[in-house]
Amino acid sequence: MLKWLSGALGAASAAVVVLPGGRFLADALRQRGSGGAVVKRVARLDDLVVGKPKSYPVFDSRRDAWTLYPDQAIGRVWLLREEGAPGDAEASKVRAFTAVCPHLGCAIQLDSGGQRFVCPCHRAAFDLDGRPQPDESGKKSHAPRGMDSLECRLVRDSDEGNWWVEVQYEKFESGLTTKVPKV
Amino acid sequence: MRVLLDWLDARTGYRSFLAPFRERILPEGPSWWLTSASCLAWVFAIELVTGLLLMTTYSPSTTSAWASVHYIEQSSAGRFVRGVHYFASHALIVLLAVHVLRVLVYRAFRAPRELIWISGLLLMPLVIAWAVTGNPLSASQKAVTQIEVEANIIGSTPLVGPAVQRLLLGGDEVGHLTFTHLYFLHVGLLPLAGLALLAVHLSQVYRHAVVREQLVASGEALPYWPYQSVRNATVATAVTALIGWLAWRRGAPLDAPADADLAILPRPEWYFRCLFELRRYFTGDWEFIATLVVPLATLLFFLAIPFFDRYLPRRLAPALRWSIVILAIGAWDWLTWTSLARDASDEEYQTARVRAAELSERARQLADARGIPPEGASTLLRDDAQTQGPLLFQRHCASCHSCSDSGGAGIVAATPSAPNLYGFGSTSWIAGLLDAEAVGGPHYLGHTKFAEGDMVTAIQELHADASDDLTAQLRAVAHALAAEAAPGQDSPQDEGLVSQGRGLISGQLGCTNCHKFRDQGELGSAPDLTGYGSRQWLEEFVRNPRDERFYGDRNDRMPAFAARSLPSDHHLLTDRELRLLIDWLLH
Repeated sequence: MLKWLSGALGAASAAVVVLPGGRFLADALRQRGSGGAVVKRVARLDDLVVGKPKSYPVFDSRRDAWTLYPDQAIGRVWLLREEGAPGDAEASKVRAFTAVCPHLGCAIQLDSGGQRFVCPCHRAAFDLDGRPQPDESGKKSHAPRGMDSLECRLVRDSDEGNWWVEVQYEKFESGLTTKVPKV
Repeated sequence: MRVLLDWLDARTGYRSFLAPFRERILPEGPSWWLTSASCLAWVFAIELVTGLLLMTTYSPSTTSAWASVHYIEQSSAGRFVRGVHYFASHALIVLLAVHVLRVLVYRAFRAPRELIWISGLLLMPLVIAWAVTGNPLSASQKAVTQIEVEANIIGSTPLVGPAVQRLLLGGDEVGHLTFTHLYFLHVGLLPLAGLALLAVHLSQVYRHAVVREQLVASGEALPYWPYQSVRNATVATAVTALIGWLAWRRGAPLDAPADADLAILPRPEWYFRCLFELRRYFTGDWEFIATLVVPLATLLFFLAIPFFDRYLPRRLAPALRWSIVILAIGAWDWLTWTSLARDASDEEYQTARVRAAELSERARQLADARGIPPEGASTLLRDDAQTQGPLLFQRHCASCHSCSDSGGAGIVAATPSAPNLYGFGSTSWIAGLLDAEAVGGPHYLGHTKFAEGDMVTAIQELHADASDDLTAQLRAVAHALAAEAAPGQDSPQDEGLVSQGRGLISGQLGCTNCHKFRDQGELGSAPDLTGYGSRQWLEEFVRNPRDERFYGDRNDRMPAFAARSLPSDHHLLTDRELRLLIDWLLH
């Protein structure tokens, strides 16, 4: 009886620390809503050359645990302006890809030839449409899917001035064969 | 299970290792007094576990310490875990004192147990150092002041003081390195030293414990397990429950982030109150007696007890032991009580406490609402108009202006000699300016050189040949001018009033005979009413009231605080201060 009582009291006291401690440790598992898409202007349309991909950073406020950074690069995108009536901005078309590789999340770069995207980590290659390409030796690409395209549209300053490329930037789960937004 | 334990025992021999615990005998039977040791060990364990938990999130640096502690407070169960860590440290100090006195009364320090006594006593300064290095980690204003004072106490120690002080702070003053140093001591060096002392302490206890084979038959003797254990567990549970209750209800304090501009009246934690009080009796060069000699002498005296106790006459020894206990408790209580009582009746201190609580509350609010900027938590209050506005007003404006409501609450000028700015630009403030009595009264122009000027005369004349609808007209004017201060905030029913008032200003009431209002009237004889009381208007006015747009050469005594014509190092208010002051005035 006394032995049982000692054990019970000991367990109760331990629970006062262990249970809240477990909750505290698990706090990082709680969703903090860092995902979700943001719509940002990333580049002036006139700065893009037809057929030549260019990369731009995306700036937004970012919360890192307790610190709120008001304006930080949260990622990078590749923009590719496609054929359209030259000088006619409204007829232009721009495609946007996130620079995050769908394999393991490295930053995708442009091949020296400028006509192919390459991920420096595992040599995954993509054509300018973002489709996976076999590597130099003809082996299948490491990328499980093509580069993730981002929604993108052209907007104009309210004073009828510059045309801008506005990108809906978001992050996707890596390693999957389909494109699943991170939440 | 049994098989598994047998297998383990065959390889480790853990049963024979545990035997002294299982077979330990209490020759005089179990006692509630004997629970202090295990309870102390239990609270140590709580500190260890909660400390490790806090380490997962705490970040020691001047920019991140307060922020990470605030983050812990916001995490699930974080406030409770931190509260337990905080109150368990208090429990540790109390229990250690109780344990020492209990051992003293029981004469448990006798040969061959001197080492138990010594290693246990040395835990006392260690635990104190643990608390001293732990409390400032939050980098609150109180925390930083505490460590500054403690470092100065260390610095005033003869010979080694200054060097140790620099080592502790990591430089001349509190900074990033202070927090990494304190953190290193708190979670690195002191735990190692504590474990070493505990190892000596417990191995000696273990070595000198009475076990079953040695027992001389005695009627009262009972095995430790479970007769003493159940008492230990009961007390440990009660202490844990108390700690948990305090952590749940009160939580650990977190004052506002450190900022030298926000003066507070710091006090040491309650367990240092006795030394704090003692210091009142040793001032100047003698201060080190209170901060160094008395604590050290007390410790040395206690350490020496086993070595002279045995030579004392049979009757004297117990009397001496009891008088030490009574004297220690008495002196501690008296000093602590005197210090607390003095503060309780000290109005200045009580006001400062209320103020500190307000600042803490405000800083937490801001951190939750805005997030903490990369420059660190100190900027929260430094860039907060609600906090800085009154301070700036006191410093720069309150020698002439009051800012107090009709009940007199707020900031009252030492000698009011300029308008009361409470609610400046609002409908009711302007209504007062348009009142025949008030305009020349103490809250408006009464104490200025315009007391009998054109404005006062004009208003009084308006009222003298009062038409029936003057009251309604002035109400419309008040609304129209208030709308200048806060455009676009009128309710639809006010809009008619506002446009009526605008018409009156430049028409029937003749304000634009002197004032400029929009495209009517001219500058040069009275302040511009366009945008009157708006942020932009007020900023330019405070920058330079002598500007043509305002009073020009007719300006009374108001200084130009930041005239644009002057280089910014000649300004009385920086742009930031100006922004905060105006934000606050117009809030």
